[in-house]
Amino acid sequence: MLRFIIRRVIIIVPMLFIIVSLTWVLIRLAPGNFYTGEKKLTPAVEANLREKYGLNKPWHVQYRKVLWNIARFDFGNSLKYEGQSVNRILLRALPVSAALGLSAYLIALFVGITTGTLAALRQNSWIDYASMALAMVGISIPNFVLGPLLVLIFSLTLFWLPPALWNGFPSKNLILPALTLSAIYIAYIARLTRSGMLEVMRSDYIRTARAKGLSEGAVVTRHALRGGLLPVLSFSGPALAFLITGTVVVERVFALPGLGNYFINACFNRDEPLIIGIVAFIAISVLVFNLLVDISYGLVDPRIRY
Amino acid sequence: MKDSSSRFIAFALLLTLTVVQLGCSAAASNQPFFGKTDPPANNVLRYISGSEPEALDPQVSDGQPEARIAMALYEGLVEYDPKTTAPIPALAERWETNKDTSEFTFHLRRQGRFSNGEAITARDFVYTIRRGMSPEFASRNAGLAYYIKYAQAYNEKDVFVQDPATGKFILEQDVADAPAAIKPPLTSQPVASVTDEYPPIPEDKTPDTDTEFHRFMHSPPRLVLSSDEKKRGKQIEANPKLKALIAGKKFVPVEGKDIGVEAVDDYTLRICLGQPAPFFLSLLPHSFFRVLNQRAIEKFGAAWTNPANIVTSGPFKVAAHRPYDRIATVRDPMYWDAASVKLDGITFIALDDNTTIMNLYKAGEIDGMLNHSVPAPWLDLIQPMKDFMDGPEASIEFYIFNTTKGPTADVRVRKALNMAIDKQALANWRHIKPLTALTPEGIFPGYPQPKGDAFDPTKAKQLLAEAGFKDKSGNYDPAKFPGDQIELTFNPAGSNQPIAEFIQAQWKQNLGVTITLKTMEFRTMMTTRSKLEYKGIVRGSWSADYMDPFTFLGLYYTPTGNNGSGWWDQRYADLLDEANRQADQAKRYELLAQAEKMALDAQPVIPLTTNATRWMKKPYVKGLYPNAQTLHAWKFVYIERDPAKWDYGVPDLKSEPPAVAGG
Repeated sequence: MLRFIIRRVIIIVPMLFIIVSLTWVLIRLAPGNFYTGEKKLTPAVEANLREKYGLNKPWHVQYRKVLWNIARFDFGNSLKYEGQSVNRILLRALPVSAALGLSAYLIALFVGITTGTLAALRQNSWIDYASMALAMVGISIPNFVLGPLLVLIFSLTLFWLPPALWNGFPSKNLILPALTLSAIYIAYIARLTRSGMLEVMRSDYIRTARAKGLSEGAVVTRHALRGGLLPVLSFSGPALAFLITGTVVVERVFALPGLGNYFINACFNRDEPLIIGIVAFIAISVLVFNLLVDISYGLVDPRIRY
Repeated sequence: MKDSSSRFIAFALLLTLTVVQLGCSAAASNQPFFGKTDPPANNVLRYISGSEPEALDPQVSDGQPEARIAMALYEGLVEYDPKTTAPIPALAERWETNKDTSEFTFHLRRQGRFSNGEAITARDFVYTIRRGMSPEFASRNAGLAYYIKYAQAYNEKDVFVQDPATGKFILEQDVADAPAAIKPPLTSQPVASVTDEYPPIPEDKTPDTDTEFHRFMHSPPRLVLSSDEKKRGKQIEANPKLKALIAGKKFVPVEGKDIGVEAVDDYTLRICLGQPAPFFLSLLPHSFFRVLNQRAIEKFGAAWTNPANIVTSGPFKVAAHRPYDRIATVRDPMYWDAASVKLDGITFIALDDNTTIMNLYKAGEIDGMLNHSVPAPWLDLIQPMKDFMDGPEASIEFYIFNTTKGPTADVRVRKALNMAIDKQALANWRHIKPLTALTPEGIFPGYPQPKGDAFDPTKAKQLLAEAGFKDKSGNYDPAKFPGDQIELTFNPAGSNQPIAEFIQAQWKQNLGVTITLKTMEFRTMMTTRSKLEYKGIVRGSWSADYMDPFTFLGLYYTPTGNNGSGWWDQRYADLLDEANRQADQAKRYELLAQAEKMALDAQPVIPLTTNATRWMKKPYVKGLYPNAQTLHAWKFVYIERDPAKWDYGVPDLKSEPPAVAGG
């Protein structure tokens, strides 16, 4: 187990190196620069700017600086936003994304597992059909459609909830984005739970549990859920990583100052340190969460050994 | 399973119907205003200022969202008039201009204070302008101040040439081939006294003293060479007189103290230009010239704009800043005119998605928004509403021709492609004003703007036939036209795509040629454009830096830079120079109009439309006007709680400007 964890942690380093290098090359390939605008700068002004930000240095010097920055977790200063360090931006944006992501995650887990389990236990009943039909809708409607739809209904027609903007946590402003973001995850989790539970309910150890005379409730919660939720677990680990590290579309639709919003703007602005900082941060989060999921597998399913 | 899918379809249908129902009811509402009209509980304006500001340092960014925030936080010598955006007194209570508009003297108010309580003096303005021009600071706006004497040389890190023996500097006239054809500006001639230089000033005011710096400014211009040895070598090689003179001389870098800004005393600021510039005063409200606090900047470096460190000079000061979300400002009690500032604060919300902006507006979460926020497809719904702020804008849309290669190098082809577009139809569809010239129409009062070619498909075909695209009988033949060598390149933001498709259809319909459309992400397009690497045609737009036709005509003053077309004519540049040496505004406009006509004859661009302001404000917000630059002097804005005094429609832009204390 320990050797497995150490191996996986070591692999993170080369993975990160590849991801960051690719990102860096892609930024280089994109034409234009952070100061490119509607108004062309005079050559002297442009030269002054390039010198100020070290863009006139040879590429290997700049590349080394990027790697060195990542090695010590200090991503330098944003090019576009004068006087702001990338680390500070990450620290400020992360709580917003995390609040949104965690709310959506909890909604998704609760609603998804409940409906999935109910659907499995009442297979081929109306509950099963209705919840799976809703799950289909959840998977098929992209969140850039669902978000504006919810806004149209709850903000612009009923005037119940604000249509956008961040207002701290918790606040009314978070309800619509969290619902929008959770829809697709509810759908996935419900379907995964249902199929996992259906499979488990037919297995031998459930029959044994029933034969022991356990009540149906105890069979489901103590025995079936543990095995039936394995697919949900492997789905939900990386899902959590993606959810709390910023969700570009929902943050854009609801104008929330989270990582996703920063990321997309950093790309449009050609803000190299910020792009690399966010990419590295998201990459590390996904790698770490994947590792955590693999570890927890062993804990939940006695059949898996490392 | 069959059962399940049919239920699913039924559900989906139901959902769709609900949505359509909601959409219809929203469109059919017959309200005078869009959405809620309840004034906010407290006296704080919630304003959408556009994309996240790059910096709260007013000298860093060249964008409009930043300019609007800077107007709340900082004040300059002059401010934009809320209705006309012409300069009105701000920290300068009055000023004088010398006889040929090459020198300005400003008299500051004595009550000016920074947000930390320190007095604002002429020295602070000198510091601010020198800082903005310094090459290390690398401001993108530095070009705005190149009119100031030696400012460009300082910003470009140039050098003077000094004789180490005598201490004298080599002058421009020492190396000139022939005596200058045009009389040098007053600021380059010695004058007997300051009084001589200025038109008579009122009797109760004393003329300002002459100083050593002033005499330095008024001496013939020194020779300026590049600090880059390669470039300087070329400059020297090109001029034998210079080569002979330069032996044994030393190069002295141009410094901040050499540029033409001078604190004559604590409350008198003198600005010397290298040339007459009648429009210079209208440049001064720009955020680049707004006064900054030297101590705060030197103490905190780049971090001086953090809310904990920032020192400001305007009617409002920063309370909190959450990037990509909002900047909360509150009224600054230190501000010299704090008593007439009506709002307790302004919350600037950083947002650039038009649909979200409109949603927030409708839901009553915001009170006002920046220009161009109403998306074109909403116009039919929004235009009749009484809170829609529409008016002509000092900004234009056009397509640029690559005049250096391909079929568009031929002026006849350029003229034909321009004439084949029915701009009135375009304008009607866009609910906007058509444009045939290089400057926006109806923006500059008294400017005799020339008209460009009108819509004339017959003439267009004739021109193309003359250009060689004809059949045996000499008639225009579309098959001969190399349409495949021209592409229309644009960035797919906003309505650029449908507009490009409209123009494409016009050419197809009127000339029978198919021009391919090519989309390109904005920054990529700008790079391609400035390198003239696009095939044929590329999208362009321009908004005024200051309220003068020269801000548009100057685009073609050099072949590079913002030009984008590669078209350049020495006579055009000369005409502009001549115009800017004219102190008489009517004569100057006449010359500018001649230059514009000359450029129109060469047709380096296809003018399309004069933009419209297109934003909304709640009826209870007073003092916000749809002026041509959408720049608002925030201290005049207030929230009116009595519905009888609300704005029902676009407020009048012609009435008297608000009274300014001491103005």
